[in-house]
Amino acid sequence: MKKLILLVVMGVLFTGTLMAQKTVSGTISSADGDPLIGVNILEKGTTNGTITDIDGNYSITVADDATLVMTYTGYEQTEIDVANASSFNFVMSEGTTLDEVVVTALGIERSEKSLPYSVTQLGGEQTAIAKEVNVGNALAGKIAGVNIQRPVSGIGGSTRIVIRGNSNINGNNQPLIVVDGVPINNQNLGSAGMWGGQDWGDGLSSINADDIESYSVLKGNTAGALYGYRADNGVILITTKKGSKRKGIGVEFNSNYQLETLINNYDWQQEYGHGNRGMAPIDQAESLANGLNSWGGALNGGNVLQFDGVSRPYSAVGDNLNRFYRTGSGFTNSLSFSGGGDHHNYRFSVTSLDANGINPNSGLNKKTLSTNTTGSYGKWRASISGSFIVDDTRNRPNLSDAPGNANYVVGVLPANINVLDLQGDPNKLGSNPDGTEMIMNGNVFITNPYWSEYQFEKNNERNRLYGNVAVGYEIIDGLLLQGKIGMDRFNERRRNLTPYGTGYSPFGQLSEGNRTVREINLETTLRYVKDISSTVGLDLMVGGNQQKNQDENLGAGGNNFNVPYLHAINNLSNQSISYGFSQYQVNSLFGQAQISLMDQLYVTATGRQDWFSQLTDPNGGDSENSVFYSSIGLAYDLAGANLNLPSWLDLGKLRASYATVGGATDPAQLTLNYGIFDQGHLGNPLGGISSGAVPPAGLVPSTNKELEIGADIRLFRGKANLDVAWYNRTTVDGILRANIDPTSGYGQKIVNVGEIANRGVEMLLDLAPVQKQNFSWNIGLNFSHNNNEVVSLLTPESDGEQIRLEEARTRNAFIHLVEGMPYSQVMGFVYLKDDNGNLILDDTGLPQADTLRAFGTGVHPTALGINNTLRFGDLSLSFLIDMKFGAKIYNSTNAYGYFYGLHQNTLEGRTSGLGEVAAGDIQDYYQRIGFGISEEHIQDADFAKLREVILAYNVPASVMDRLPIYRASLSFAARNLAVLWKKTDNIDPESTYTTGNGQGLEMFGVPITRSYGLNLNVKF
Amino acid sequence: MKNKILKLGVLLLMVMFTQTSCDNGFAELNQDPTKASTINPNFQFTWTQLRTSGGRYENWRAGLIYSSMMIQHMAATCGYWTGDKYTFNGSYSSSLFDRAYTEQVKDIQDLVNTLETVEGSDQTMLGMAKIWRVVIFHRLTDLYGDIPYSEAGKGVLEGIDRPKYDSQESIYMDMLNELEAGIALLGNGGFGGADLIYAGDAEAWKRFGHSLMLRLAMRLSEADPSTAQSWASKAINGGLMASNADDAFIQHTNGPASINNNGFGEVLDKASGFGDDCPRLSATIVDWMTATGDPRLNVIGELPEDGSGVHNGMPNGLDEVTILENANGTTPQAFSRINPELVRVSSPMFFMTYAESELLVAEAAMRGWGGGDAADHYANGVRAAMHVYSHYDATFDIDDASIDDYLAANPFDSADGMRQIGWQYWAVTLLNEYEAYANYRRTGYPDLTPINYPGNISNGQIPVRLAYPGNAAGFDAFDAALSAQGMGNDPIGWMTVPVWWDK
Repeated sequence: MKKLILLVVMGVLFTGTLMAQKTVSGTISSADGDPLIGVNILEKGTTNGTITDIDGNYSITVADDATLVMTYTGYEQTEIDVANASSFNFVMSEGTTLDEVVVTALGIERSEKSLPYSVTQLGGEQTAIAKEVNVGNALAGKIAGVNIQRPVSGIGGSTRIVIRGNSNINGNNQPLIVVDGVPINNQNLGSAGMWGGQDWGDGLSSINADDIESYSVLKGNTAGALYGYRADNGVILITTKKGSKRKGIGVEFNSNYQLETLINNYDWQQEYGHGNRGMAPIDQAESLANGLNSWGGALNGGNVLQFDGVSRPYSAVGDNLNRFYRTGSGFTNSLSFSGGGDHHNYRFSVTSLDANGINPNSGLNKKTLSTNTTGSYGKWRASISGSFIVDDTRNRPNLSDAPGNANYVVGVLPANINVLDLQGDPNKLGSNPDGTEMIMNGNVFITNPYWSEYQFEKNNERNRLYGNVAVGYEIIDGLLLQGKIGMDRFNERRRNLTPYGTGYSPFGQLSEGNRTVREINLETTLRYVKDISSTVGLDLMVGGNQQKNQDENLGAGGNNFNVPYLHAINNLSNQSISYGFSQYQVNSLFGQAQISLMDQLYVTATGRQDWFSQLTDPNGGDSENSVFYSSIGLAYDLAGANLNLPSWLDLGKLRASYATVGGATDPAQLTLNYGIFDQGHLGNPLGGISSGAVPPAGLVPSTNKELEIGADIRLFRGKANLDVAWYNRTTVDGILRANIDPTSGYGQKIVNVGEIANRGVEMLLDLAPVQKQNFSWNIGLNFSHNNNEVVSLLTPESDGEQIRLEEARTRNAFIHLVEGMPYSQVMGFVYLKDDNGNLILDDTGLPQADTLRAFGTGVHPTALGINNTLRFGDLSLSFLIDMKFGAKIYNSTNAYGYFYGLHQNTLEGRTSGLGEVAAGDIQDYYQRIGFGISEEHIQDADFAKLREVILAYNVPASVMDRLPIYRASLSFAARNLAVLWKKTDNIDPESTYTTGNGQGLEMFGVPITRSYGLNLNVKF
Repeated sequence: MKNKILKLGVLLLMVMFTQTSCDNGFAELNQDPTKASTINPNFQFTWTQLRTSGGRYENWRAGLIYSSMMIQHMAATCGYWTGDKYTFNGSYSSSLFDRAYTEQVKDIQDLVNTLETVEGSDQTMLGMAKIWRVVIFHRLTDLYGDIPYSEAGKGVLEGIDRPKYDSQESIYMDMLNELEAGIALLGNGGFGGADLIYAGDAEAWKRFGHSLMLRLAMRLSEADPSTAQSWASKAINGGLMASNADDAFIQHTNGPASINNNGFGEVLDKASGFGDDCPRLSATIVDWMTATGDPRLNVIGELPEDGSGVHNGMPNGLDEVTILENANGTTPQAFSRINPELVRVSSPMFFMTYAESELLVAEAAMRGWGGGDAADHYANGVRAAMHVYSHYDATFDIDDASIDDYLAANPFDSADGMRQIGWQYWAVTLLNEYEAYANYRRTGYPDLTPINYPGNISNGQIPVRLAYPGNAAGFDAFDAALSAQGMGNDPIGWMTVPVWWDK
């Protein structure tokens, strides 16, 4: 293969002829004389291009007889022959065109009409004005076919992005993230599970929105085919901002301030107070024992001794959430310097983000330094882009299970307990006078919320450097050789402290971790672009990539601080260390060929061979460690065809493609491994099996095949644009850590199994009903429906055909993959009923559980986003409505609401009993349902939300002229402003606490919030 | 021209740089540099013994919260100590099942397999490993009934993902055979110091193996008396544990890691940072010891915090409300804790004692299954039980004079012998809760008074097994086991269905 590349290089090297060069310059303006900024100018048939500056000026060095192609959103594509002159000024006319340039795989810019697949481009401002700390969350509802799930994990949390449905059984289902042509690491650094935990963020959470020029979302396999095994979940290409040719240095300042307030979804009963069996507590001990039981007497205003021995009125105290949580805030300031000349351009930026979560004492501080600099010197091209990011997150909130989780306690406080009474010592919140945790209920594992927030430490700091250096050389006209080195390296320093004096750990625990994750990509490409005749154009590319990943983790921890409250690792009585190391490498060769005929029919084919170290037998045995992936696509531009199109149909493109891509797996899992554990016992080393999963006999990479058919149609003189895509994707041989029966000795087994199908449609409809000089109205509508089916799981077929992805803390609801059903089934136990549907009660009159049943998928199959933009002169208003349908969620909050007697439904029978159950024992009835019968708590997770509202004002030029400012705009932005409808009670339907594959469980995450902010942008 | 060649050279180097080879060095890269591909059997045996002693998780839930409460060794008012009141908590109940297969069975199966298949393996090691495997499995089947046994822990060895459930009857027959086979292999060699119980002493292992055989045989006394009798005789004739020096326990240490700790200590040892202060000694054991003048009471108990100066056992079945109306104390502080020195993280964990072995022989003798004079063995058993606490601390030993007094005051009465043996067996298995619970279910002794708490799942009777994990529901192997034992789908009903040997 190496030789082949050399042959291609040399073959192409000696066939071209050198041409004379000249520089062409001029100004481009609109019909009404305004300069057009950022017009894309491309030397036809090459990759040589530039864009106009703020005065509409451009300058480009081209061949003597070149043709320039000018493209600009909303304007007709224009071509001019510059053979006879060196200066061209011209006017572009508004109109509809398909000829926008989009960023495709490996960062290659291609004209949209030539693409045989759908790509959605989104401007960076879409995530920069209405900000989210994790840029991924700000994309929610904006791209058809892209499902974004924001977990309720508080400040600095991660996001789950799934494009065109889940296709991997339990590997990664999130897209590859590529910044300026180089993949970055987007792994989740840890999330909560049934036993609690925190969300430690992901790769996207450190990306800076203010540096992003655009997103290009490659949804289908063909679009990502050049990424081979990394493309099976789609690809999001992020292009960072560049400088452009201008006089002097351009300075841009952006300031964004946001406030975040919680939405209280709890609708608990306010009629009965804490206590047991219908009685209010009669003393402190009883009060403490029933600290969270709302099974007491009717609230009557009398005095009752509470957990701390203080007598307080037995009456409802109102909204505890707003007492406990605070208003969150985010303050982002960025400053950039950019500029450029004929041969180079540059941009440097510095951004600072200071954010406070709504959980007291939680916050995040992020500083980013970025650059993107390119140069073009004769035949040489060079570029460097990258970012250095330091983010520091304090007190990531605990989620799910009770220990250390403030959200749990605040969520289930009885109506008559005021959360402020749990504050304890004002100088050390949540503590007794002796400095230990002030416990407010009988179970020490349910932590005082102030102690959780103020005394625990759950911090991490990441130092991250990612970027790339590329050098290109134009060997002959149209033939460009490029080498690129990309790196993403971050170091995470983590500290997780359970302080001395905590109820469930009186002497405390501490873990400190230091993790370094690194990915390096070395990529070489050779691209040749040539119109070989007036009707046939060629665009050929071959290349290779070497990817190396390493992950090293050194941890120290232990329990029992010797000196009270001295929370240092060296003060631990029991200390332990841990060390982990993993590495893998993937080598690839790839190529792409595009042939255009008559500028009308485009055929694109790609191929890629990947070699995986992860699939190479470490003992040197035979192993299938290599796979070939390919794609073929066809695009047909109706515009050039001599078809008798009706007058309302302006333009159209039809496209079809088929591709295979794949997915890989983790390293070092092909053999059974033995480890040495801890530090021995009485001098004897401890050793045993360290593999938790049964290693596979043989493993092949998964394969993902997709057929995509689509059309892009412009109607009614540009007033309506419709882009539709239909796809049918099948993933086979998924590499699965299948949960097997733990009585086999192993929790899991690594196998190649199964088939998952995703079939769906995506539709983008842009409408421009009104386009007047001072008023315009645009409607953007995106719709997607994905039909997911787990076609088969285990091979050979075995009983059950179910795989468990997640389990609820109540241990009676699960997320399974079930053969023949969509991904992520929410499973629950149903009531035991007779043939007539009546409950069969047990001897004591309590309902009973029957079998475990699937209730539906936890992933919304259908989504609709509607964005309206209204522009009145310099003022514009846009609002986005985001709707999702068809998913279920297990409402653990309600299960606890039943258990603790908070749910409104538990009021029935409190005074007169229910059937055989006496009023005093009514808690037995509801507690049985709470933790025994999950059917009661599985609900529809459909919703419609007013996701985003932006009101922007561009300060008019007439004002600017009098100021030393070039441009200024002020925007008001709000996110998650309102839930228009939902079907869940006591929770928001988007309340999942994890970004893992098992979606559909909820339990005591951070309350959902809405945010409002102002964004000021000034350019000098 | 020179310049061009230079440029070309640079370009070619760039190409070669990225593509030196397609998969060179990949095999090495795919080897975990922190792990080994084989393990020394010594390391694995120590590891498995320690893990059989168990962690906090299952010792707390299956051991203390369920077993110790149900058999009224201890009592608690806290609501989550569900075993005190026979209320249901599925994951507490299934905790030993949940942990044992992945933490104990996996490695013991691997070790036995290694010793059986690797040529020239030490046969004494194999014998000890086989005996230890019986230790692991008999506790599981005693608690849960029919369980995966013949195919368990063989996910890698035989590729079995979903082991079938074997009937308890067949498991018992096989375990007895395995004990015999294991004992027969014991000779020279062995694990030496890596054996945490007998430091590799094969003779001690033979005695332990036979006593364990006797325990298993007697377990069948109601379900299959003739099999019980023949194995009991075989065990007795083979040579049983002969003194307190034969007591089978693992000595734990203060650290440095959790694995080194005693699992009960990790729940109750306040000095080491573990904070569960719910349990107290049950009134059942305190009252019995008080009534019989048992010198052990001052060893197993800590006087109540309230300064009353006399041991006071907490009645089972009280909650935070009903304790307020309790005549003998209205707060947990009025009751005796278990002696904190017995539940340190560094305390020994017991698997079987000479005392139990002698009491079983006494019972066999009562049944006429050989073994000699029941009264003698009863006395030996009681005497040995009094000496057990010397393993914790020499000062806890009961002196012979006190024992003599006790035996004189509480003489063996053959008419009431089964009952006396049962109470004594129950007393000596304090902190070996799985065994205490199993022997109680078989013999019905001690004659405990069940409590009937609102919302209990067993209609006011002491549950007769622990519930399986619910998460196997729906899988054929498991559903077949439920139906074979006459159990329904709802886990809440499982704990009232007796295991096979419980007739």
